Amino acid sequence: MAIKKKIIALGLAVSLVGAGLLTGCGSKDTQTAKEEPTEKYPKKAMEFIAPGGAGGGWDLTIRTTAKILKDTNLVSVPMPITNKSGGGGGINLAYMQTKKGSDSLISVYSPPLLLINLNGSTELSYKDTTPLARLITDYGVFVVPKDSKYTSISEVMEALKTDPKSVKIGGNSSAGSMDHIQFLMVAKAAGVENIKDIDYISFQDGTATAQILGGHVDLLSTGLGDVEQLLASGELKALAQTADKHVGQGVLAEIPTVKEQGIDVTFENWRGLFAAPEMPDHAVKYWRETLAKMVETKEWDEACKKNGWDKAYLDQEEFENFLGTANDQYKGILEEIGMAKK
Amino acid sequence: MDVIANLLNGFMVALQPYHLLMVTIGGILGTIVGMLPGLGPATGVAVLLPITFSMGPTAALITMTGVYYGAMFGGSRSSILINTPGDGAALAATFDGYPMAMKGKAESALAISAIASFIGGTIAAVFMVALATPVARFALKFGPAEYFLLMVAALSMTASMSKNNVLKGFISMILGLMIGTVGIDAQSGIERFTFGVLELQTGIDFLIVIIGIYALGEVFKSYKVINEGTKKAQTKFGKIWITKEEWKKSKWPILRSAPLGFIIGALPGAGGTMASLMAYNNEKQMSKNPEEFGEGAIEGLAAPESANNAASVGALIPMLTLGIPGSGTTAVMMGALLMLGIQPGPLLFTQNPDIAWGLIASMFIGNIILAVINIPLAGILVRVLSIPPKILYPIVLALAFVGTYAISNSVIDFYLLILFGILGYFMTNLKIPTAPMILAAIVGGTMEQSFRQAIKIANGSMNIFYGSTLAICLITITIISIVYPMIKEYIKKEKITA
Repeated sequence: MAIKKKIIALGLAVSLVGAGLLTGCGSKDTQTAKEEPTEKYPKKAMEFIAPGGAGGGWDLTIRTTAKILKDTNLVSVPMPITNKSGGGGGINLAYMQTKKGSDSLISVYSPPLLLINLNGSTELSYKDTTPLARLITDYGVFVVPKDSKYTSISEVMEALKTDPKSVKIGGNSSAGSMDHIQFLMVAKAAGVENIKDIDYISFQDGTATAQILGGHVDLLSTGLGDVEQLLASGELKALAQTADKHVGQGVLAEIPTVKEQGIDVTFENWRGLFAAPEMPDHAVKYWRETLAKMVETKEWDEACKKNGWDKAYLDQEEFENFLGTANDQYKGILEEIGMAKK
Repeated sequence: MDVIANLLNGFMVALQPYHLLMVTIGGILGTIVGMLPGLGPATGVAVLLPITFSMGPTAALITMTGVYYGAMFGGSRSSILINTPGDGAALAATFDGYPMAMKGKAESALAISAIASFIGGTIAAVFMVALATPVARFALKFGPAEYFLLMVAALSMTASMSKNNVLKGFISMILGLMIGTVGIDAQSGIERFTFGVLELQTGIDFLIVIIGIYALGEVFKSYKVINEGTKKAQTKFGKIWITKEEWKKSKWPILRSAPLGFIIGALPGAGGTMASLMAYNNEKQMSKNPEEFGEGAIEGLAAPESANNAASVGALIPMLTLGIPGSGTTAVMMGALLMLGIQPGPLLFTQNPDIAWGLIASMFIGNIILAVINIPLAGILVRVLSIPPKILYPIVLALAFVGTYAISNSVIDFYLLILFGILGYFMTNLKIPTAPMILAAIVGGTMEQSFRQAIKIANGSMNIFYGSTLAICLITITIISIVYPMIKEYIKKEKITA
């Protein structure tokens, strides 16, 4: 019997450790943060949500934000981060609707927020949130294997104009999402007709990079920071990036923009913070001011440099205008390739 | 000589007391996480991620690999003891591990699992030191067509090796392929079989299929015997070790499976599940007594365990040498590295030799530490079998639900879990093997995508599927794997009649 009891205890201990591990990541911040509210709002802990898994782009952005807000004492309440992934961010968007009017929920989003609505994955749109501020942008980059015959993005576009099937485009997001859209925006601006006929091949789990290295696709459409090392080592060469200026350091700074090659378009992979729909005015005011202060700190500077982010702060009003413009742009592309919801 | 100097340097880093402590703690936590159904290495690393943020990059990476290996060691514990794999890679350990435990040989099963894992992991680490770059180059030759053929080979091997009835094996496989089609189709962006449920857009996680079929299926199956009280708990336990004869049987399967696992692991996207199942099938076909497989053959446990750990080492190659995450776990690890300001990729070995070689050295050390932890730990764990089934199975049930919730914090997954549990029960009753379904559910989605990627690249032509030497090799392997057992059977019959 004694042994049996031990076993049961062990079983319980194992499951407790398991449960502890699961909740551990959330509660850790709670214990370390100071609990003296300096002003009326915020009084209680905030709920920071990454709509994707740990280690992804959204996760990285919101964790960095929370850490800097804490380190610089701009916010004194705990800001535990939870990951609510699924539906390309749609799961969290649905969850945010259940918190209508809440003053304590903040999440992070990027272009997929607009895309999942435009392609019909979800009925909800950015209008069902309270946009607070745009924080940063990444840019897209188009790369080819080192022995590719293409040396500029305009050559690729010329080839596509003669035969839209002649260049196979690879990317890590699914059809109708970021990597696909950013390429089509450039193709459209370059005057390629029938962008619908361009073959975009979607790869899972980030394996598109291996496919371009192996020469199985002709061009990879991806994020600027994702292939830095492979560009530096000469395994891949970059034809163009989608910012309106040179960005980053080293090899990244040398990449010509799409605009410099005579194609008048840019693509921003922006990331911003969004609160629950109908967040009370006093809370919105607090976060707008706090975030405006945060982006001026040297800690934020360092974080941006480290992660290769371009500082792109926009206050609420400008951000909302920006979202409207971006939404129309994406919509145009999706309609042209027949992927917009009817 | 450079390699040896670098490796020694790496050992200097890995052997620092702090790093040793971290790899040990990581290994223990990983083992525990790995044992719980649904919590595999990817979740383990993700959950423990925030802890590593306060460490330096080297310590963080070493801790994470400790968790990673720990989870690989731990994953098969529950496969052997309660027929519930902790993750996909531990699936093959149920085939012969659980029958061994049922026959009162749980001690040998746990011992060989730790020994095979240790040897497989160590051999793979040696390969990694010597062959990382050429293997990474080789892996790049796999385009969509080759991936498709590789998966066809793995699936047809698993389906055709099904005990007794090949037709039932293929029925099971088709069910798995159907599960794989649920979700948003990446090539067209169109939703398939989601029935308007948001949670289904990302597809059905294969872990839910595994937990449902195995953990719940096992509980349902045992309900009758438990209720009648005919199922007795084991009361006497021997030493956790293997006999000389058992070692003789396992030696070659372990050594053969390690290189296989290593190469499959190094292919981005292939992973431990495929490596361990291929190793199992391979051994079954080479065996003189294939009928013993599935009934508690020790070599049927040794081979996949060795392959699975070798694959986990191989999976680090694309991340370290090219900056491409080759699996869910390495994707999480890569995210963590980026957060620590380290960019994995071809320049990692020159820019941060301490980190790269420290990590490789810690693989050797981690493997030794885990083997040392796991043998005595198995002595405690094996006593799970002494818990009366009336108490054990409710615990299994609870763990199954907790594990499922942990996958994506979604209640929808509970319904799926129960559904698969019931399906598992009926499949066992109808003697339909479940392994082909699980493998198909894991690789089916990717297999279909690979096919369509290849067709798109080739402008609709099928020539791409035999357009490279590699593709032809893979086709040959598939044909041999289907035909060879038939020929063997035929020769056997001839001998008997003659």
